[in-house]
Formats: sequence, C-alpha cells, structure tokens
Amino acid sequence: MLIHWLDILPLLILSAGGLAIFGAGAFLPRRPSWVLFGLASLTALGAGLAALLMAPGSAAFLGMVDLGSYSRFFTILLMSITLLSLFFLHRYAQVRNFAGDELFALMIYAALGMVLVAAAVHWLIFFLGLELLSLSLYVLIASRRRETTALEAGVKYFILGAVASAFLTFGIALLYAATGTLEIKASLAGVSQAVPMPLYFLALSLIFVGIGFKISLVPFHLWTPDVYEGAPAPVTAFLSTGSKVALFAALLRLALNLGEPAWEMAWPVLWVLAVLTMALGNITAVYQTKVKRLLAYSSVAQMGYLLMALVAVKQGSLPALLFYLTVYALMDLGAFGILGSLSEPQADLDELEDFQGLGFSHPWRSAVFACCLLSLAGLPPTAGFLGKIFLFWALIKADCLILAVIGITTVVFSIYYYFKVLTSLYLRPRRREFLITPPDLAVGLASGAIFLLVFLLGIHPGPLWSVIEQISIFLSR
Amino acid sequence: MTADSLLLVLVFFPLAGSLLALGAGYQPRLCRWVSLILSLMQMALISLLFFLDLQPHSGPTGTWLLAVDYPWLEGIGARFSLGLDGLSLLLLWLTAFLTVISVLISWTAINLKVGLFHFFLLFLEGCLMGLFMATDLLLFYLFWEIQLIPMFFLLGIWGHARRIYAAVKFVLFTFGGSLFMLIALLVLYVLHGHQTGEYTFSLYQLSQTPLSPTVEGWLYAAFLLAFAVKIPLVPLHTWLPDAHTEAPTAGSVDLAGLLLKTGFYAFFRFAFPLFPGAAQASIPLLLALGLVGMFYAAWIALAQTDIKRLVAYSSIGHMGLMVLALGIWNLMALSGSLLQLFNHGISTSALFVMVGMLDERLGSRNFQDMGGLWQQMPVFSAFFLFFALSSMGLPGLNNFVGEILILLGAFQIRPLIAVLAFVGVLLTVIYILRMVQDSLFGESRRVQPLRDVTPREVLILAVMALPVLYIGLHPGPVLRLFESSLQVMWGQFPMLARSLGG
Repeated sequence: MLIHWLDILPLLILSAGGLAIFGAGAFLPRRPSWVLFGLASLTALGAGLAALLMAPGSAAFLGMVDLGSYSRFFTILLMSITLLSLFFLHRYAQVRNFAGDELFALMIYAALGMVLVAAAVHWLIFFLGLELLSLSLYVLIASRRRETTALEAGVKYFILGAVASAFLTFGIALLYAATGTLEIKASLAGVSQAVPMPLYFLALSLIFVGIGFKISLVPFHLWTPDVYEGAPAPVTAFLSTGSKVALFAALLRLALNLGEPAWEMAWPVLWVLAVLTMALGNITAVYQTKVKRLLAYSSVAQMGYLLMALVAVKQGSLPALLFYLTVYALMDLGAFGILGSLSEPQADLDELEDFQGLGFSHPWRSAVFACCLLSLAGLPPTAGFLGKIFLFWALIKADCLILAVIGITTVVFSIYYYFKVLTSLYLRPRRREFLITPPDLAVGLASGAIFLLVFLLGIHPGPLWSVIEQISIFLSR
Repeated sequence: MTADSLLLVLVFFPLAGSLLALGAGYQPRLCRWVSLILSLMQMALISLLFFLDLQPHSGPTGTWLLAVDYPWLEGIGARFSLGLDGLSLLLLWLTAFLTVISVLISWTAINLKVGLFHFFLLFLEGCLMGLFMATDLLLFYLFWEIQLIPMFFLLGIWGHARRIYAAVKFVLFTFGGSLFMLIALLVLYVLHGHQTGEYTFSLYQLSQTPLSPTVEGWLYAAFLLAFAVKIPLVPLHTWLPDAHTEAPTAGSVDLAGLLLKTGFYAFFRFAFPLFPGAAQASIPLLLALGLVGMFYAAWIALAQTDIKRLVAYSSIGHMGLMVLALGIWNLMALSGSLLQLFNHGISTSALFVMVGMLDERLGSRNFQDMGGLWQQMPVFSAFFLFFALSSMGLPGLNNFVGEILILLGAFQIRPLIAVLAFVGVLLTVIYILRMVQDSLFGESRRVQPLRDVTPREVLILAVMALPVLYIGLHPGPVLRLFESSLQVMWGQFPMLARSLGG
C-alpha cells in the first residue's frame, strides 16, 4: 500500500521542527534564543502554509487523521494561534531568562498535539494528540522554575489533567467494549441492538467529562483561574486559546457524528451545562479583583456561549460556532498576550489597581488590550459583536429561544467586569511608576495583527464567513 | 456619483475626521481648530441638503428622500442601507450643530488629553449620523451599541468627581436594556425568514411580517425596554441625572441633545412600524408613562439643590410629554412631538452649556452659592433667562410651538389626558421659574466679582438662540418637513396606519 506522506505535511513539519529546536539547543553553543524562536516561528508558519496551500489527495490518512477542509481550517487556525503566541512569548521569556530550547520545542509539540486532536478521526490518534498536548503544557506552565506560583499551577494542571485523561481513557475503552471499533464516526453513529446502552452512555459521559475538564466547563472549571494566574501570561494565552480551540473542534466533531438516540440524551445535558457555565463564569468574574482571574472566568463564560450554540449544532449552528471559535481565539489571545507584554520583569501586573493609568502611559498596547476586551464583551464594531450575533442567530433559528434569553442575560453581567478593567485602564488616575519592558518587533506585529483582525472581522467578515459556510456544507453532506 | 452617495459621506466623514483629530492631539490648539473645521464642514454639508429640493421616491428599502443600499453581511442578509427623510434630516442637522457647539464650549474647559476628547466627539457624531439614517435593523443596532463607547469615555475621563460610577451605570443600563432588543430583533428576523424564505434585516420588509399578537407583544416589549432606558422613561431613568451631573459640559450637551433623541427616534422609526398592533395596545401605557414622567420629574426637580441636576430632571419631563404625544398619535400631536424633539435638543443643551459656564466661574452648581447673578453678569443672565423661558414654553419661542401642538392634538382625541398634560406643563413653569429666581435674582451671596461671558461664549449662545427664535416665530417650513415625513411613513407602513389611524 502506498502511503501519501505529503498529505500530512503539516504534521511532519511540526515534528521535524520540534526536533530541530531540540537539536539546536543541544549542539549550538550558548543557545541564542533568537535562533530557537526563529526556528519555532518558521515551523509554525511552514505548517500553516502547508495546510493552506496543499490540498491533500484523500479524505483521511490511513483512516486515522482527517484531511478534509474542516481539519485544514483548524490546522491553519491553530498554527496562527501558535505563531502569535510565540511572538508574545519570545520577549517575555527572554527578559525573564527562561527562553531555552525546551520552551520553544514544547510549544511546537503542543501545537502538534492540538492539530492531532482537532483532526483525529480515530480514538487512538485523539488520545495520543491529547496526551502530547497535555504533557507539553504541564511543562510549559511550570517553565519558570523559580516561581512557586508557576510550579503550583503546573502541578495543579497536571493532577487535574491526569484525572481527566484517566476519565477519557476509561471512556474510550468502554466505548470500544460497547461498539467494537475505535473509529470515531463508527463508534458514535452505530447504535444497533447489539450495543449495550448503559455501557454506551457511561462511556460517552466519561469522555465528555474528560473534554469538559480541558475546555473548563462548569463544574469542571475549578483549575482554570489558578492555572491561568500562575502560568506565564503568553503561555496562558496559548493554553486558553489553542488547547480550547483544538478540544472544541474535537467536541464539535463528536457532536456532529453522534447518532440520533444518543444525541437526544446528550443535548439536554449540554443545555444545562451551557447555562451553568455562562452563568457561573460571568457572575464569578464580576467578583474578581485580579485581571488574570477575571479573564480566566471570562474565558469560562466564553466556552459557555460556544456550548450554548453547540446545543443547536444539528440544526445548522456549525458556521456560527466556527466563526465564534476563530474570533474567540483572536481576542482571548490578544488579551492574555498583551497582559504578558504589559508586565514587569519581577511579576506580572495582576491587581486591577496595578492597571490604573496604563491606558495613557502605554497607549498602543493598552488600545489593543481594550479592543480585545470590548470584543470579548461583544460591543460593535469588533469581531466579538458579530460573533455573538451569529451565535444567537443560529440559536434562535433552531428554536432555542429560552437558552438564548438566558445567554443574553448573562452577557449583561459580563459587561460590568469588562468595563471594570477598562475603567482601571483609562478612567482612574495612575498609582505608581511602571517598569514595563518596551515591546519588540514581534510583539508589535502580533498585537497589530490582532488589532486589525478584530476590527476587520467585525466589519467585513464576508471572506471568512464564506469559507466557513463551505466547510459546513461539506461536513453536513 | 448621485446625491444618494452623499449619505455615505455623512457617516464616514466624521469617522475619518475623528482619526484626524486624534492625530492632531499632540498639539491641543491645532486639534481644536481641526475639529472645529471638520464639524463645521459636516454641518455645512447637511445644511446643503435642505436646499437640494429633495422629493421622496421609493426604492428597495422603502420611500426616502435619499437612500443607499449595499450588501454587507451576505451570509445572513444584513445590508448597509441608509435612508433619509425629513425627520432624520433635522436630527442630522441637530447632531452636526451640537457637535460644533460641543467643540466650541470645550475650547478652554478641556485641557486634558485633548486629542482623545475630540476623537470621541467626532466619532460619536459619525455613529449618530449612521443611527439616524439606518434602515437595516442590524446596522441600526450596530450604531446603537457603538455610541455607548465614546459616551462612556467622555463621561469617565473628563467627568466630575463621581464620574466612574456614573459612566459604569450609564453603560450597564443602556447595554442591559438593548441586549434584549437584540434577541427580539433576531426572533423577528428568523420569523420573517421562516414565513417568506427570505432572510433580511430590512425595516421595510420586516414591517410586513404578519405576527401573532402574543409574539408581537413580547417583541415590542423588548424594543420598548431598550428605548425606554434611553429616552428615559420614568422607572428606568435613574442613570440620567447621575450621568448628567458628572459629565463634562460637552458630554451633557451630547447626552441631552443627541443620545436621548436616539431612544425616541428609534421608538418612532422602528418599534411602531414593526409592531403596529402591539403599539396600539400599548397606548394607555405610553400615556401613563408620559404623564408619570412629567409629574415625577417636576416633583423631583423642585427638590433639587444642584442646578445641573434640575436641568437633567427637566429633560426627563420634556421627554415625558413627547412620549405622551406618541400615545395620542394624530398628525398634529406627532408633528408637535417631533418638533419638541428638536427643540429640546437646542434648549436643554443651551441650558447645560450655561450651567457649565456657571460652574466654571463659581466652582459650584449649588443654588446656595448663587443668587444675584444678574447684577454681576448681565449678559449671561439675559441669555440664561431667554433659554429658561424657551424651555418652559413662552409663546414666541420654540418650545411653545411644539407644546401647543401636542396639547391641541391631545384635546381632539383625549381631552382628559390633555388637561393632565397641561398641568404637567404648568409644573415645568414652576420649577424653571424657581431655578431662574434662585440663580439670577435675589441677594448676591458672593464676595468676589464674577467675570461675565467672553466673546467666544457670547458667540456660542447667540448661535444657539437663533434656532430658538426661528422655530418660535416661523415654524412652518420645519413642520412641513415633519408632515411630509409622517405622510410618507403612513403610506409606507399601511398596517401602522390601519392600527393607529392617521
């Protein structure tokens, strides 16, 4: 049998790139961080371009990895996230002396895991991708070894992540026992007489718990604020966008492939969890005084909005979901990335009071930060506004009016805390002198790109939307 | 290029100008001049429209004097469509006029972050231009929400002591109110799509959606909530006095003169044509809310010790009368009400401008620190008296025309309501006179002499006095503009005319 290796070129580039960074770390004297950073960026860029430009010959690679437009879309999105995170990370790590080869290589391997998770059509690949992603992230979160908070965050994410993986593995095993196949589509769709129902549902719930941990749905979200607070801010940006986008892509695939009787059981659960996630995420965020924790709860709530639209995925909310996922990645990455860039070498700025007056002393980066916040809050003319419009439109079209009303009520709460941050940035007088490191070119490029895209997608989303619609039509066929 | 594309210029010129002002911000003087010239150009452009002799013509988005229609979000059928009629034209002119005034009164008062300030002023102008012309519901909603952002910063950065509280309260109230409108809007859109197979946000097409009374009632309620917060109607008004008290003078002018107008305008433009049946059913509610607003505002205004708060409450009272006129719904009352919309924009803004000048001189807005101003500042006091008299409806000045039309219109249909409204207007006279008496007359309680108005300030006040006199003495042309708009509207929305008469 002929194996078309070129079909998985993005994955090959990522693997080779990771090895090259480790190699450069091992053999180059003094391990200059710009070489490592350049290698990592080129790898991410190359993988993204490969996915963008090369049309694979078949629909799946050995029945394991999906090569269709859906996974190409997510590969490109995830590579963009990786690239932007790297741009934010380099300066941050350089100033704080942890820009080693393991940092950049693990970023690349985490990205590889993400792509595998998003593209997997086989449970084995899904599990492998998830473990690769998680193991890399455990280390990345704790990559500032001298910081106790970072270590605590790493351990916390590790323990809870290991538990989640255990749930997931057991769920996959049970699913295999119930259906006799490890192919995702076949295992989810085929519910014949032979399948023992209780076992099947137990398997599905265990898998859902595992994924729920990773995308921090209530009630599995408790790790989120601590880990987000402890991890270096650019890593948090990567974690909160990349890993969530990848896992949500997988969740979407599962939901789309889930057969009729199981979906009938599943969607009320999703409904309830969406309400809980939106409500708890938004209401808890109101009480936060630390910006990182506030943004952590906000990202929990954002996942809630996505879950809310997931309820209507069988009635055509897929384009809205894909659009919002893209927008979410963009604005959350911007918020955390800028947060990292606007930090002092000793410790990240965290308390709301620390941000007072920053809007005028550091106008450019604050403006990007403010735009991302406005977009997260869903105010026009940003991408977040249109994203929310599309989400609610899809919901109402699917006759989920009650869920939409509950959702919009929680959005009212969210306005308060986003404006609380804006208030600190622009409205309150400056408290103290800042020792913030000036941005380098990479940070400037990344934040400029995010700034432009947030407005562009809010005013003229046509091109992206038509791509997404094509993907959805292709998937629903 | 046809005259229609002028509408695009009207929206995008101030938006582009705002960036220019921001760029010029490094040199405050330059920035002020740039903003002044830009806003004057915008005003000249709009004034030009009055002389073009525009005639209503029908197009795909309805019957308008001028209209543009471009595809925008093709995936969901939202379009970038603007339409101009007599009402929007006058509101556009008011917007441009008050922006010029705002730039002028901030000439010396704003010395902090000048570039950003003028950026927000011009940006707000652009948003309002779009809002007053949008004929696509999603586009309207977009402008409706954007206007919060510049106002939040205008209030929050350049406001007075409790500005942050006021700014956050303002955002929460208005945003909270309008989010439910978003849901209602999407429901209407989806229902229309289900029935006709065509998904569109066009006001003209959506107004032809047949709705069951229950659904219509709920959707109307959601719109009502959003607009009632903005107008503001009495139980939802509490953000307004705080916002006004804490805002810088230009912020107050924009708030009273423009932002409050958007609520009433949207009511008239969207809520009524879209939900005529529910609108008819809500008439008793509107009458009650209007009356309660008038009486409540008068009662609270009498107890105020802060002159700016008093003017803010007078604003609520005036809006109450206009909402009452919506409930009367005949040609006379409606033209009066639309005229009042314009008048209130001029007179109340002028009062806010003068209160701001007073505040700059006295450092206080408390009645205890005033009294006897006439002896020290005769020119100022004469203008103040003039605008106060205009605000309480002295014959020969602008408010009188609007008020008398509303009252006469009301007498034709609902005499009892008209009597109550008349009492409400009388109460306005009482608190306005009290304001004048406590500030201008009586014994002076100050030792230091006060500087009278500067030439720049005289210019501002004289310019603002002109429309007051013009409408008071010769309201014919403006009223004809409204009447033709109303007739076009009734022709355009037959269901509205059938439900409510006209």
